[in-house]
Amino acid sequence: MNFDFSIIFKYLPFLLQGAGLTIELAVLGIAFGILIGLVAALLKISHTPLRYIAHFYIWLIRGTPLLVQLFLIYFGLPQLGIKLSAFASSVLGLGINSGAYLAEVFRGGIEAIPKGQTEASLSLGMGKFLTMRRIIFPQALRISIPSLGNQFIISLKDSSLCSVITMSELLQTSQRFASVTFGSLEFYTTAAVLYLLMTTVISALLHSLEWRLSKQTRTRGE
Amino acid sequence: MRKYNVLFLVTLILLVATGCGVSKSNSEASTTTTLDRIKADGKLTYAMSGQYPPFNFFNEQNELTGFDVEIGQEIAKRINVNPAPIATEWDGLIAGLTTSKFDLILGSMAITDERLEKVNFSTPYYRSGAQVIVPSDSNISGGTDLKDKTVGVVLGTTFETKARELGATVKTYKGDPDAFNDMANGRLDAVITDKIVGLNAIKQHNYPYKLVGDLLYAEKMGIAIRKDSPQLLAAVNTALAEMLDDGTYQKISEKYFSADIR
Repeated sequence: MNFDFSIIFKYLPFLLQGAGLTIELAVLGIAFGILIGLVAALLKISHTPLRYIAHFYIWLIRGTPLLVQLFLIYFGLPQLGIKLSAFASSVLGLGINSGAYLAEVFRGGIEAIPKGQTEASLSLGMGKFLTMRRIIFPQALRISIPSLGNQFIISLKDSSLCSVITMSELLQTSQRFASVTFGSLEFYTTAAVLYLLMTTVISALLHSLEWRLSKQTRTRGE
Repeated sequence: MRKYNVLFLVTLILLVATGCGVSKSNSEASTTTTLDRIKADGKLTYAMSGQYPPFNFFNEQNELTGFDVEIGQEIAKRINVNPAPIATEWDGLIAGLTTSKFDLILGSMAITDERLEKVNFSTPYYRSGAQVIVPSDSNISGGTDLKDKTVGVVLGTTFETKARELGATVKTYKGDPDAFNDMANGRLDAVITDKIVGLNAIKQHNYPYKLVGDLLYAEKMGIAIRKDSPQLLAAVNTALAEMLDDGTYQKISEKYFSADIR
């Protein structure tokens, strides 16, 4: 048994650079995912034929592994003449993947608001869109925050899969130096610690966001 | 609830304890050599990436085959055991060998000083070198033109190290076929890999690529063996010397390359 964590220090700046890219991928991916997820959730609860598109999207994406989706986007699409950079492919993959899960999260949030509120605002003369924007959605978002945070953490960890489509994110950077220095234990432990740090910070941020958004519903003295 | 907590703790302790037990018995067992164990098991396990045609690759029957695989079969035959080639990720090969996941790396691994610090190598079993490969219409004419160009290599190879030295923007892949594909997709300006591998890829897939410049450097490939297995190293070297002498090596080499690449 032998390990020497001092070799890490020489490579730490590169690992941190990789971690930076990991955060970038996760943030852009989840932002894209929120956008798609919202649209898909609204389509799914709409009573138009468009809801079948949302059903199909969620069924397709939730039913296939992200790794396969990434391979298809990066290595498969060029055969159809669509050439995306590794970065664009990664963000797209993480986005459509998290979007499918977020669609269900948002739908759950929206459906959790009592129907009476919609009826009340419609009777006050608000349109359907205004009701959604002013009354239903702000409450639905608050309900969705914990699951949204959950998905953010999942996406951050899933971004490690982008290493196979040539992204030099945290895992790939660690693999590179682990193979050069033969320090598998040292580099993968460091990668794990960095992932843990990032997810811990995200959890804390989301917790404070949740706390802030729940101001009105908190009981006094809490 | 408390009862379950205790139960959980006990399980955890047991797991850790048995885990330690296993690793201890491993080091105690080192009185029997790796070669003895291979003979007792009746099989020689040797690893490669499986993504390095024609040296090692999966054929249409999904069997691992190629030059490396056949050299391994011949070595196994000469120490009277069955050959068991396996494919694993290139950048995990040395870690897999040192942790005894298999007995040999027989996968076109170049002998380098860095690798020699971790493992032993047999006498070289073939010679080749690093080659720059570019699309036919490219005006790159050799290694010195690669600065700031996007170059594809396999993660953890000597080619990767070289590409970084040359100042290229490096993209890493799990195997050369992926890199060649990505150059066809227009995402790469060049690929650095083994000359023989490059020639084979161009021939097999009719890629519109050309080889440019001299070899970036020559390489000698060896069979990697754990440092605690000197008897196995000696047996492998003897087997290699025999097959180089009696024409078996030449037959295998000519089957794949129409030439002797020793």
